[in-house]
Amino acid sequence: MSVTGASHKYVRVVRLLTMRRDGGCEPLELASFDVAEVVEGSAGSWSEGSLTLCLRDLTEAAKEGLPALQDLDVRVVRPGDPVRIAHVLDAIIPDVKASAPEITFPGVLGRLALAGRGRTNRLTGIGVLSVCDWAAAGLASPQAFPDAFVDMAGPGRPMTAWGDRPELVVTCTPKPGVPVADVDRSIRMAALRVARDAARATINRPPSAIDSFDLAECVDAELPALAVILQVASEGPLLDTFLYGGPVGGIVPTILDHREVLDGALTSGAYDWAAVRNVTACYQQSALIRSLVAGHGESLRFAGIILALGYLDTPFDKQRSAMLSARLARKLGADGVICTTFSSGNSHTDTMLTVQACEALDIGTVAIVAETNGGLTDHVPEADSIISTGNHDELVDPWMPGEVIGTSDNAMAGEPVPLWAYLGACAQTGGLALTAVPA
Amino acid sequence: MIVVHYLNQFFAGLGGEEAAGLAPARIGGAVGPGRGLEAAGLPIDVTLTCGDDFFGEHEAEALALLLSWLGEIEPDVLVCGPSFGSGRYGYACGSLAREAGRRGIPVVGAMTPDNPGVLAAEGAAYIVPTGPSVASMRTALPTIAGLAHRLGGGEPVGNPAEDGYLPRGLRKNVRVSEVGADRAIAALLAKLSGDVRTEVGPAFDRVSPPPAIGDLGSCTLALVTEAGCVPQGNPDHLPTRHSNIWLRYPLRGVGSLSPARYESVHAGFDTRTANLDPNRLVPLDAVRTLEREGQIGRLHAFFYTTAGVDTPMAVAAKFGQEIAAELIPAGVQAVILTGT
Repeated sequence: MSVTGASHKYVRVVRLLTMRRDGGCEPLELASFDVAEVVEGSAGSWSEGSLTLCLRDLTEAAKEGLPALQDLDVRVVRPGDPVRIAHVLDAIIPDVKASAPEITFPGVLGRLALAGRGRTNRLTGIGVLSVCDWAAAGLASPQAFPDAFVDMAGPGRPMTAWGDRPELVVTCTPKPGVPVADVDRSIRMAALRVARDAARATINRPPSAIDSFDLAECVDAELPALAVILQVASEGPLLDTFLYGGPVGGIVPTILDHREVLDGALTSGAYDWAAVRNVTACYQQSALIRSLVAGHGESLRFAGIILALGYLDTPFDKQRSAMLSARLARKLGADGVICTTFSSGNSHTDTMLTVQACEALDIGTVAIVAETNGGLTDHVPEADSIISTGNHDELVDPWMPGEVIGTSDNAMAGEPVPLWAYLGACAQTGGLALTAVPA
Repeated sequence: MIVVHYLNQFFAGLGGEEAAGLAPARIGGAVGPGRGLEAAGLPIDVTLTCGDDFFGEHEAEALALLLSWLGEIEPDVLVCGPSFGSGRYGYACGSLAREAGRRGIPVVGAMTPDNPGVLAAEGAAYIVPTGPSVASMRTALPTIAGLAHRLGGGEPVGNPAEDGYLPRGLRKNVRVSEVGADRAIAALLAKLSGDVRTEVGPAFDRVSPPPAIGDLGSCTLALVTEAGCVPQGNPDHLPTRHSNIWLRYPLRGVGSLSPARYESVHAGFDTRTANLDPNRLVPLDAVRTLEREGQIGRLHAFFYTTAGVDTPMAVAAKFGQEIAAELIPAGVQAVILTGT
């Protein structure tokens, strides 16, 4: 993910240009600190790829002032551990704002401030996974939320992006009687605290690499301008996406700065189908943004990001949002857009209508969607270029984990597991290399 | 490797149309086209055969017997046909292929792409496309033998284009060298320069509407829904998502769907508002009014329900066909299909 030596130089030049434009405003510097091993100790530190964490301190800080949680446990699992983690809610990359830790994940955890500027220190090669069994807590019916697994070994391990690195697993037990929205707010805050506090050890340390994402202004105007329509959903507690801490439900499509997306402005609280869920890390390490920035001035012009809703309730709402997204893409000067998709079913219609609305304005489109055993959920003739992130109905071979975290039930141990149960396995934001072919 | 070969009466050398009523039989070794498979490197252990008419008229009986023999023999692979353009023979091959495939036996069939046997196999077999007549035997046999050899030996099979079989309607996951984001950017740049690429296309039927009904006043109407509307407590355990069944509930003497007796168990939308008045899922109250007013002839005595949440197209199409197969003989001419 980090930039190569050659493009790093290029980025430096770009930064100078932007600083002049922004009148001295600080550009985003994403400083990566590679994690090759995680050690448990009495205080946090990072040195040369070795991360030491005090789990007791992380736990205490995470649950402080959160009465909605009866219990909270933080533990480390490592690749190869015979562990299945069940009821995973979110995956977060540990980030901390180096000069102002109190504005990390602004609005949702930190004080409200614009994201996407200044130095952010990021631990790479480690994740934070939040876990809660809503049904066991009596906060949802057993069928309301399908399984959501991360396997650290066995045939399911390569199905998620999370089994190949150490994970900090934050397992939360709600206090009985507390409304579900309060519990969820506390869990999201606790997991983001663990992410922030784990990364604190990097402050004032020399990073493994620094990436910048500013865009050169003087690029060949003949290059095609590409934008992204980033679809999210926000349907209420446990199904929300947050922008600076507020649920985005009800918004009209809006323009985001790509740097704020990478820097924690968007966070997830949407826990439907695991494989096609956009976890917070999908935004923090957006492969689309990284590649569009890398290609800017070379093969394309990066025209911007439009945040739009999927899972809208009525045909009118869907068509209206599609039309307004297309109109913003036109406003950005886009020749082409990539339409991402959030979750499965209903939202595929939002994607298809968005494709149709853009093509009607002569904006070329590519849609990113996952498939089912029955193929596509929806399709319009204008959607002639589709990237498939795989068939989420395919079965993964049975595996008997030595331990299951996050549930007292058997978590499909020893049974074939449909891919839809693996966290982010078919995420329709384009971060993974899975696709499906005829057979 | 144990190989079983299925043939109809004609290719098994038992006779032509006059022998089409023959019951299933079991023959040791290769017969007819089986010899050609042997010449192509696939030794046949057992040949099973059945008359085409017998299979058509006694399908359950024929299948049960053939499957029981397969259960005893435990073959590593089953080859059916080739059945070329023959509808009855192709259907028997496809049906046996489907049932054997579902029991974990790898199956290779061979027929024309439009043979009803292709649909009957429901993607459970690898079907090699052939021409309509025996003239294409010579080219088909080596492909069949090669596929059967690999399947029987547990070797991986490539994609349909590489290995010469008809797409089974399945989509298999593979990992490629580039992540989706990079593939999307490359596809978009290509599209903008006039080269449209896609990783998946639609496999949908485009259904044309039937002619309008002339006289609604004498029409029998049925109510069908995917809204997951069931009697309170979901007594027949309709799955709330990925439903693999549909259900039928009586409407005789029911004037309206009261919230005390009906509910939606659909997992794809917030059912709270709908459950205050299940008539908004299945508009029985309105249709009863129309019936009383004589604006429609009569309401069919049952409503049909499933939960359409992430239902694969193939499953949904099958539900539609099965429900239609009940409605048409009952004289139903029109359906109100409520979706959510």
